[in-house]
Amino acid sequence: MMEEAEPDISPIPSDQNSPSPSLSSSPSLSLPSTPSSSCGPAQAATPPLCVISEGASELSLVIDAEVAQRACQEVLQKVKLRQVEGDVTHLQNGAGLEAEPAAAKASKIREEDDHDAPAPGSVKNARRRQRHNPSKQSWLLRLFESKLFDVSMAISYLHNSKEPGVQAYIGNRLFSFPHEDVDFYLPQLLNMYIHMDEDVGDAIKPYVVHRCRQSISFSLQCAWLLGAYSSDMHISTQRHSRGTKLRKLILSDELKPVGPRARRDPLTLTPFCPTAAHGGGSGPLGGDHGLSPSKRTHQRSKSDATVSISLSSNLKRTASNPKVESSQDEPVRLAPQREFIKSLMGIGKRLATLPTKEQKTQRLISELSLLNHKLPARVWLPTAAFDHHVVRVPHTQAVVLNSKDKAPYLIYVEVLECENFETSSVPIRIPENRIRSTRSVENLPDCGMTAEQRAGSFSVVPNYDNDDEAWSVDDIGELQVELPEIHTNSCDNISQFSVDSITSLESKEPVFIAAGDIRRRLSEQLAQAPTTFKRDPEDPSAVALKEPWEEKVRRIREGSPYGHLPTWRLLSVIVKCGDDLRQELLAFQVLQQLKSIWEQERVPLWIKPYKILVLSADSGMIEPVVNAVSLHQVKKQSQLSLLDYFLQEHGAPTTEAFLSAQRNFVQSCAGYSLICYLLQVKDRHNGNILLDADGHIIHIDFGFILSSSPKNLGFETSAFKLTSEFVDVMGGPDGDMFNYYKMLMLQGLIAARKHMDRVLQIVEIMQQGSQLPCFHGSSTMRGLKERFHMSLTEEQVQLLIDQLVDGSMRSLTTKLYDGFQYLTNGIM
Amino acid sequence: MSQVEKKAGLLRRTSSSKKPLKEKVVLMYDEIFAKEDPAKNNPRFWDELFLMKVNLEYLESKLESVDGEEVQRIQDNINSLFHHCVQALGEEHQIKVVNALQTLCALFRGVHQKNKSASGFDIINMLMGFDKAEQRMKDLMERLDSLLCGDSSESLKSLCLKLLLCLVTVTDNISQNTILEYVMINSIFEAILQILSDVSSRGQHGYDAVVLLALLVNYRKYESVNPYIVKLSIVDDEPTLDGMGMVVHQALTEYNRQYKDKEEENQGGFFSTLTSMVGSMFIADADEKLSVQTNEAILLALYEAVHLNRNFITVLAQSHPEIDIAVTPTTPTPTTPTTPLGTTPPSLDMMNNPELPLDPNLQTSNLLITFLKYASIVMQDTKDEHRLNSARLCLIILTCIAEDQYADAFLHDDNMNFRVNLHRMPMRHRKKAVDKNIPSRPLVCAVLDLMVEFIVTHMMKDFPMDLYLRCVQIIHKLLCYQKKCRIRLHYTWRELWSALINLLKFLLSNETTLLAKHNIFHLALLVVNLFNMFITYGDTFLPTSNSYDELYYEIVRMHQVFDNLYCMVLRVSTNTGQWKEAASKVTHALVNVRAIINHFNPKIESYAAVNHISQLSEEQVLEVVRSNYDTLTLKLQDGLDQFERYSEQPKEAAFFKELVRSISLNVRKNVSLNTLSQDVLLKEFSTIS
Repeated sequence: MMEEAEPDISPIPSDQNSPSPSLSSSPSLSLPSTPSSSCGPAQAATPPLCVISEGASELSLVIDAEVAQRACQEVLQKVKLRQVEGDVTHLQNGAGLEAEPAAAKASKIREEDDHDAPAPGSVKNARRRQRHNPSKQSWLLRLFESKLFDVSMAISYLHNSKEPGVQAYIGNRLFSFPHEDVDFYLPQLLNMYIHMDEDVGDAIKPYVVHRCRQSISFSLQCAWLLGAYSSDMHISTQRHSRGTKLRKLILSDELKPVGPRARRDPLTLTPFCPTAAHGGGSGPLGGDHGLSPSKRTHQRSKSDATVSISLSSNLKRTASNPKVESSQDEPVRLAPQREFIKSLMGIGKRLATLPTKEQKTQRLISELSLLNHKLPARVWLPTAAFDHHVVRVPHTQAVVLNSKDKAPYLIYVEVLECENFETSSVPIRIPENRIRSTRSVENLPDCGMTAEQRAGSFSVVPNYDNDDEAWSVDDIGELQVELPEIHTNSCDNISQFSVDSITSLESKEPVFIAAGDIRRRLSEQLAQAPTTFKRDPEDPSAVALKEPWEEKVRRIREGSPYGHLPTWRLLSVIVKCGDDLRQELLAFQVLQQLKSIWEQERVPLWIKPYKILVLSADSGMIEPVVNAVSLHQVKKQSQLSLLDYFLQEHGAPTTEAFLSAQRNFVQSCAGYSLICYLLQVKDRHNGNILLDADGHIIHIDFGFILSSSPKNLGFETSAFKLTSEFVDVMGGPDGDMFNYYKMLMLQGLIAARKHMDRVLQIVEIMQQGSQLPCFHGSSTMRGLKERFHMSLTEEQVQLLIDQLVDGSMRSLTTKLYDGFQYLTNGIM
Repeated sequence: MSQVEKKAGLLRRTSSSKKPLKEKVVLMYDEIFAKEDPAKNNPRFWDELFLMKVNLEYLESKLESVDGEEVQRIQDNINSLFHHCVQALGEEHQIKVVNALQTLCALFRGVHQKNKSASGFDIINMLMGFDKAEQRMKDLMERLDSLLCGDSSESLKSLCLKLLLCLVTVTDNISQNTILEYVMINSIFEAILQILSDVSSRGQHGYDAVVLLALLVNYRKYESVNPYIVKLSIVDDEPTLDGMGMVVHQALTEYNRQYKDKEEENQGGFFSTLTSMVGSMFIADADEKLSVQTNEAILLALYEAVHLNRNFITVLAQSHPEIDIAVTPTTPTPTTPTTPLGTTPPSLDMMNNPELPLDPNLQTSNLLITFLKYASIVMQDTKDEHRLNSARLCLIILTCIAEDQYADAFLHDDNMNFRVNLHRMPMRHRKKAVDKNIPSRPLVCAVLDLMVEFIVTHMMKDFPMDLYLRCVQIIHKLLCYQKKCRIRLHYTWRELWSALINLLKFLLSNETTLLAKHNIFHLALLVVNLFNMFITYGDTFLPTSNSYDELYYEIVRMHQVFDNLYCMVLRVSTNTGQWKEAASKVTHALVNVRAIINHFNPKIESYAAVNHISQLSEEQVLEVVRSNYDTLTLKLQDGLDQFERYSEQPKEAAFFKELVRSISLNVRKNVSLNTLSQDVLLKEFSTIS
């Protein structure tokens, strides 16, 4: 068959929407036929196909017009066979051509498996081949049905094809892809749904509706994105647009799961379901947890009673707070999460009105402590990678981030992992004070009476409590056991460094200590302590971010009433209110795509795409990068050069720790240099570049990419930020690591070039109907495409890289920009 | 019974006697006090009685005027009145309920007034009759419970609480109030909790409920099993505990605000210029004006909650924006009774309001901060008995807090920084600190500031030894926690050191006068041991290496004080006398301080001599200190990081007994049912009925 005949052609973008002069001669661009000739006599009467062929003259198709035509007929035939829908019936006459495979395979489509997607290189070849063999029939269909056909291609065809049949087919085909794969392209899908013509919308809608029925989180995700991407439309059209309607439909919660599932749900959704099967729901009910924190309190021993008590109080809570589902009512599927998000946004808005950081921080803490009263609930952080329920926000850990007029803030969130947040029962609330038992075991005997009296009182008290016998016995036992410890309880068991008074008590010999030793230990311990940043009320986040993540997790876990549960996890999230995160989301997608391209091509460039949740056109959430502080904070706090800081943190230049940190630094620099160049990331001051504990740099804040730059001051003309400090860390401009850096960039660019389409597609679809500044002007896509330099040979690319690096290194503007930032924003 | 009320009653009687016709209700009362069964002639007597407007004065005075013999004769009728009162509480007719509640109140008061010396059993017998008492009281408590928990009108609930408060405070010594035995058996604890957990009822009745609870907890606290103690100690329902905290918080905030208003009043205008002109003459006067009456009942409630309920500690740190009552519109609730402060507890409730009011000037606050501010005001002036008691109770509460691990954890939490504006006493030798520039710090700094402030401002002839002891112990407990958890608090320890040294100096210079009353050696020992904590364990909790040097500097600089102290204790301990042992303990405790002084003084002198400097600068001394550590050996002392845990019994029992007595008197004085205007009630119920 034709598979073997490989016409070897250098990669050519299949996307021809904005034809650049250099590509116009590409053989793939077959001459568009005139409408009359392309539309066969059979199709003349069919409006949808005519529309397509007309479109072909202005926007040339990816595929040869004739091939497409035939393929589409085929597909439409199939569609007709499968789902007897009115809109394709008029195509009967053209169906005779290639019907035999279609009929045979029609039933299989849904089961089509999609694992082991082969290297897209071959896909492209296949696509190309098909393009060049107009004589061969059903190429497109074969491609669609092949295992090579992945989501990326599906999206691309959905976007570029004007053939309703193809679109409908792809719409159906979406069902067969794994959810995660499609989810990645959700912004693209929904943007097409909103801004492209009806056919695309109709093709996408069934899939979206289907998924919405299945999943709460998908529903909300869709609703948020639909809202955000509709916002650029004119207000009058927006109200009646498809996107808005679908959004309303989703939020009205009519897309509930149908059939018996719905019947089952109210039961499984009851938050107080006592038969918690999964670890997630073990709560205080699991008094038999080995590590139950309430081990020594009254509460634990009367746990059976508490269940009934807390149940009633929970119900009370429900009455005053509609967020918590009550067991009787039909659970409102989306409400808890929406409320949760709404309160987080509300906090952000209110914080923005406060003048000082300190006030903001205090306010944040108190607002969050109120939020805690409503947790746990069926709410989750959409940025997390696993299913969970949020149980508590350790409010004192939250910090306000540095921003001039907005009030983004970072919160840590305690969650309990669960199998499925929609069906697993919501954990039962453990009161904040329950933790006290673990902390203050020794506090027991201070309850007003001596222990003996207490014991007496417990046994004498007539039953005023159903199960008081059970717990009083318990308590007395523990009290008595503990009595002997009272006298030593305040002594120190943590300090191994200081000699304890106890030791001397036992020996009775006078113990002598040298004052010098005490003084030495003091200075040693102060020096030994991991370098923490000094608390600065103007920059509260510095300290919080510097603390190693593991340590923070351990510390918060210790202080949490839920900390003992095995499914306990800590997450963090940045809540942004008043910021448009759609560009960030776009950048995330591009970064993620490049990352997987680089992984696939095995080039060791390192980048860290961080997750973005767009909630509306002016709010959202960001997954924070853990264990990382900004270069600005590093410099301000340490007062060292970057290299010296590396030496301080990782050790001498020859140590393994330093070398690996340096390698990480170089690999991440190469990755981000390319990103910055390709996406034209601007506003690269030190506040927007993070340094993590392993030496990686991570760029954040993609507010200025592609066609937009801050204030259009014309600063930052260099391709990317490469200061001499960076070069110093790499070992100077003549070092091996610096060459490695350039080599990585070369490999990275070549790999990216190979898969350019996958990157372009993401950006291009989002451009549709968008007013985002990054799409400002007409040359955004062209410019982006040009930066891949498809026409250059590898040698030329190498030269280009050298130029870029040289230019950036010598660039005065980088320095100037840093100076400018320092003057205007105080960022070092 | 207060004189005033009596008079009012008398006046009323005379005026009514002028009228030819007595009120119908008075006639009916007269019937009750006759020998006959009033229902004999009129079967609807009791029904009618509770439809009448109660004449409390008459009823009470009538009860008072009954003498021993008569009691026997009319006891059946009084029993019957009591019985019908209790029954009337179950009536649907609200006016009957109101009247029954008020009649009961008059009964309790009148009977007690008459029989001040009588045993509790006689009183019970007179009111209910022995055989029926148990049943009657059970019914009464059940009815009250259902009124408090049900949907009855707010003024009715308020009246129920009044009745209970009236009952609880009817004797001076709560423990002698035998009727309360039945209140123990038939607990209304749950009703109180319910009032506190519900936002709206808390706003209106929270204050009374909290005071009532505090008093009930103190009924025969040390002698028998008080179920209220047991129950309070195990409450773990957050909304309830928060509610309790909120009530206390609001009462204390209100106090702080009133104080501030008075202070500002005094500062501004003509008066202040006059005082400054005439000099210190008027300072005493101004102080007098500033003393708003302290709120011991609320403080007692806070103490019981902190002391008995370990879960309550979390409530202390529960933050909410500071409630400025002056700003928030308080809806006039005519039925709300006057609290001892004469204010209505604000009905506004933050917990109710998920969206906190947006005011950038609102400082975030929590109960602990409010309490610290309150304590700083109360502790300023301890001359007055009430204020001395309040100050003592404040320090006891702080002691409990300092002993609690969880409380310590949030006191030292680096993420919970607050500005706490403590009130500082205006003193001649120092200017009032500019409050605005207090940095935002962990809360423990405010506690330490408060302790330092107390230490430096109370060195007077009438030495509050007890308060000083508590104060120093609180500091010690905090240091122990810091040492144990290796918390390096950035605090200006120097201020503490110099305050403590000054205290020692004061003890020395007033040795003879103080020794007549107090064991000053115990306090001196505690103070010296604080220094020993710093010297021996400084490496575990001091914030910088410099601070350790500064400690030595301070000791060496003030060596005279330590030298004198040593001479004194040595002298006392070598003589035979009652202080011999106490003094010798101090000599032992001083060993390291003396070692430091003896080690560094010669070094500094020789440094000065070598460098020909007469007066060394601080930096130079520190330099000498730094370079001479290695040749100094210290002795490890026992038990520096151990402390005696607070326990109420037996040490504090007498104090609390007296305190509760004083609170009882105060509450009784203020719970006058008369203030609860019947017109308002009647108006309210006339629309219902």
